Amino acid sequence: MTGTSDTSGTILRIQRMSTEDGPGIRSTVFFKGCPLSCVWCHNPESISPMIQVHWVATRCIGCRSCIEACPEKALRSGKNGILIDRQRCTGCLKCTGVCPSTAMEAYGRVYALDDLVPEVLKDKVYFEKSGGGVTLSGGEPTLQAGFCLGLLRALKEQGVHTALDTCGQCAWDTLATLLPHADMVLYDLKVVDTGRHRDFTGVSNTRILENLTRLGGFMKEHHRPQRLWVRTPLIPGCTATEGNLRGIGAFLRNSVGQLLDRWELCAFNNLCLHKYEGLGLDWQFRGTGLLGREEAQRLAATARGSGVDPRIVHLSGAFRLEDSCGVAQAGPDLHVIKGGCA
Amino acid sequence: MSMSEALQEPKRIKEPRNLSPRIAWLRDYYFQGAKRSWNNEFTAWTTGTDWDVIFDEMTFYIVPETYPFLQTFGSSFRQSARQVPLHPDFWTWSLPERKAWFVKEVMVNHVPQEILPGDLIAGARFNIQTSTCWNRKEARERNRAVLGRHGTRAAMKWFHDHGYGNSGATSGHLIPGYERVLKIGWKGIHAELERHYGTLSHRDRNGGKGAQLRAMMTAATMPRDLAGKYAALCERLSGTEKDASRRRELRQMAANLSRVPWEPANTFWEAVQALWLTHMLIMSDENYPGPGVSFGRIDQYLLPYWQRSLAEGMDRESGKEILKCFWVHANTAYDAMVRIGNNGITAGYGQLITLSGLGPSGADMTNELTYAMLEVIDEMTPILEPKPNVRLHRGSPERLLDTVADMVGSSQGSPFLLNFDERSMAGMLLEARKAGVGHLINEDTVHDYAPVGCLENTMVGNDRSGTVDNNLNLLKAVELALNDGRDFFDFIDPITFKREKVKQAGPRTGEARTFTSWERFWEAYAEQTRFIVRRCTEVYELSESVRARFCPTPYLSCLVKGCAEKGLDITQGGAELSFTTLEAVTFATTVDSLLAVKYLVFDAKECTMAQLIEALRANWEGHEALQAKARFKAPKYGRDDDEADAMAARVMDLWCTETWKYRTRSTNRQFRPGMLSWNYWVADGFILPASPDGRARGTFLSNAICPSNGADINGPTANTNSVGKALAGMSGDNAGEYRGCRNCLPNGASHTISINPSLLRSPEHKAKFKAFLKGYAENGGTCLQINMIDADTLKDAQKRPEDYQTLLVRITGYNAYFTSVGRELQNELIARISHEGL
Repeated sequence: MTGTSDTSGTILRIQRMSTEDGPGIRSTVFFKGCPLSCVWCHNPESISPMIQVHWVATRCIGCRSCIEACPEKALRSGKNGILIDRQRCTGCLKCTGVCPSTAMEAYGRVYALDDLVPEVLKDKVYFEKSGGGVTLSGGEPTLQAGFCLGLLRALKEQGVHTALDTCGQCAWDTLATLLPHADMVLYDLKVVDTGRHRDFTGVSNTRILENLTRLGGFMKEHHRPQRLWVRTPLIPGCTATEGNLRGIGAFLRNSVGQLLDRWELCAFNNLCLHKYEGLGLDWQFRGTGLLGREEAQRLAATARGSGVDPRIVHLSGAFRLEDSCGVAQAGPDLHVIKGGCA
Repeated sequence: MSMSEALQEPKRIKEPRNLSPRIAWLRDYYFQGAKRSWNNEFTAWTTGTDWDVIFDEMTFYIVPETYPFLQTFGSSFRQSARQVPLHPDFWTWSLPERKAWFVKEVMVNHVPQEILPGDLIAGARFNIQTSTCWNRKEARERNRAVLGRHGTRAAMKWFHDHGYGNSGATSGHLIPGYERVLKIGWKGIHAELERHYGTLSHRDRNGGKGAQLRAMMTAATMPRDLAGKYAALCERLSGTEKDASRRRELRQMAANLSRVPWEPANTFWEAVQALWLTHMLIMSDENYPGPGVSFGRIDQYLLPYWQRSLAEGMDRESGKEILKCFWVHANTAYDAMVRIGNNGITAGYGQLITLSGLGPSGADMTNELTYAMLEVIDEMTPILEPKPNVRLHRGSPERLLDTVADMVGSSQGSPFLLNFDERSMAGMLLEARKAGVGHLINEDTVHDYAPVGCLENTMVGNDRSGTVDNNLNLLKAVELALNDGRDFFDFIDPITFKREKVKQAGPRTGEARTFTSWERFWEAYAEQTRFIVRRCTEVYELSESVRARFCPTPYLSCLVKGCAEKGLDITQGGAELSFTTLEAVTFATTVDSLLAVKYLVFDAKECTMAQLIEALRANWEGHEALQAKARFKAPKYGRDDDEADAMAARVMDLWCTETWKYRTRSTNRQFRPGMLSWNYWVADGFILPASPDGRARGTFLSNAICPSNGADINGPTANTNSVGKALAGMSGDNAGEYRGCRNCLPNGASHTISINPSLLRSPEHKAKFKAFLKGYAENGGTCLQINMIDADTLKDAQKRPEDYQTLLVRITGYNAYFTSVGRELQNELIARISHEGL
């Protein structure tokens, strides 16, 4: 089940009091559906544009009412709980309806614009006090461009600061219709090499790079969006190489230059393994550890030396601390990467 | 966030810092607890009569844990009491005169005076249990009223055993008029008492008023005589002191004590000395070790002395050292029962100090002493007393907010209660209108309010509002409404196993099984709520009237405006502002239970009322699916869901309206509403049966105005918005507004939010935290306490994730819910936090 139109859209979730998706205190609206399928994706439940069910073990009371309710016989009881046959599941949500404990839960919900707007405006006072606002993230919001535009417009009418978090994989015209209503853009740039980008995300980065360049031109011409943050995930063996960061830095210098307010390097983490398991997917990073602290620092130093203003490079995320016992420990700044495809 | 900030070292448990050797020693010595050779343990003192009573149990009726020991405490104090030779005329005096003389005699001539090494403030031992000074007839009458078959104790015990809550006339919990002592000295207070006495008619002088004023005049000389003793002691010690600088200090202390608190204070040192002696003697007078005897706006009334002494050459750090001595003294209140529990440090006594806040005409009152005191708090933390409160408002300066944010971030538990002025003051103005005391609380005076104890708002120096005296489980009305005014179960005494059959305790509101509409059920609930509120006021009347007759506190009465003017003891309703507070407990559990009844039975029709009642009687056993629906599918308060929050506002409106209907008969104190659950929400969860919100008997109830544990799944801003709606949600009543704020709970409402310290990890995030506080001032409650998560909480969350759905693992500021992240990361987080705790 999915639904997107100018007045209704499929939303993965709304995150209130978000402090990592732009300036101030924000409500982040995660759109469902993404044109990229990054091998490391931290939010695999955001990739499909369909509403998907998943099973939360800790809430299940074992009543089997979901199995009985499924018209497609897509559910059965396995050794480790409820198994979902993804081939059969149509996303009708009969199981989530009957489940007494919300153990069967839907990833995604269709929102009417008129319902979504008041929901995200509930924290308006915190936006005003903090210089925050609403961030449209995902998934990829531009996949539901009409709904995205409606939401941005409604928010601007209410005087709310808006941020568009995009992977850039969309038609320029689509982006160009949204930009006048966005106060800032969070732009994900993962891999600079086109071939490697295709290997890791399933698509070429040609359009992504081109759109970023055009975004720079748009900002120069229209003086808005007023701010641009670029985000790069540091994925061991994929993006976390000095060559990639040097390349991205060089590209940023040439394409957006002084328009760039922040380049955020978000360290890999393995928090999302349970999501893959819940979706019945394997994950090639299942056994991958956190980045070492020194390595993260080295990569950040590379980014700072890559031609952008070094002051705008920010590093966040979880790092491995080697203590005397050799036990891996999370750093003080453990960062749960969320949203976008970061 | 810059890289250096991102990679900072893990934060450590807060430790004290910048302590001089003197203060470090005093602080360390204090924390030796029961191992100390000196302590401030209770000592007991008797008139020596065979009917003497040395322990007033009623003041502990709000502490159900003490019920099994009431007899024991009374007996042990009697056994250990030392006899005080009495004045030959003692038994010819009135009760308040006997009490005033006895307490003074004990404190001045029997309790030893000591100065701890290096201490700059005199006034060490003050925890005493004194004779109640009753003659035989008084003792007989009081014992009948308290211990008789229909006495106070039996009523209180019935009330608690049956899950209604608890109630009792309690000591402490007010802000005495300390500023007046500093300004005019006890000499000035004594002179005013004489003047009042002089204006009495002959008849009044021979009656109760005369007796009361004579008692107060005796009490007013107690601080003078005790200070004299301490002055002599300092003088003596200085004679044998070898260290020259200590010798000078002791001489100065002697000089201070020979002036204050009898004379007005001149210097900062004198002011703090006068404040401490005056304060500690209240605890002596009430035989009560401190709970809620609060200092009010200490950074305001000490400021002139601070400035004068700085101008006269006092070193700023020396001034802070004087304050730090004062800090240590405040903690010795806990010595009362030092040999019980962990160093005797078992709970927050709540001698609250208040910093900053609004002044006249909306001015911000933050000053240099505010910051000096914040430094003292930071340097002394962790330490429990005095408990700091910072009053914030829309115009609070950024520097103050920065300091608060830094201190919250650097300590595992926030050192503060944060009060929010606009909301709090709206509540105070509401009570002024409700009680007809607008001449005392109005736009020009309300800014002088301050909280006492935990967070309870009162005015200063003229107000005893019995802020913790009545604690009513709103949830009881749900049980009664489901069962036509009867308990679900027989009461079985846990010690004797004696069974007490279910009786028709509440009004008959009909068999709930037959109700065909939600509104019909609401009516039954409303009727039962009216009943439990009335019942609570009746139980309170019993202890209140006994206290008014038999338990005067003439010394404290000197420090509360109204008592001298009326010739009435504070226990008799002498204070100008004399409210008593009904604290509603189990608010969210009640709201969620009503929401669940509505959802399960009437809206979604998941079950019939009969099935729901059956499930509740079975404590949900065998009804797990229905319990799950109640817990997970029914709406909940605390999610910023307007419909659910409207129910919260309706519940709030109902019990508040009922509460305002009552006054005490014996003392004419107006009941007012508040929300503070202390620890009742834990223990009473074992008394009250299963509730329709899905809670089983034996699990916690909700705490104060907070959403039920785990219910606030939309995060801190949603939680805050719900609280604000519940507090200000009374309909059609715009009066009592303060600058656009409404608040139906003048006493205030306890609200706690847990966050991870990393929300404060960088200047950028600190700014967001400050903005959250500013948003709270607009949308939230009267006060906020911020808890930092700890490893034990996280481990518990792993075991019972359903109770911790809302626990934010704010690791880098991303609001990940702990229970929603993978087990491995959970373990890592626990390891990290445990590591930090080493």
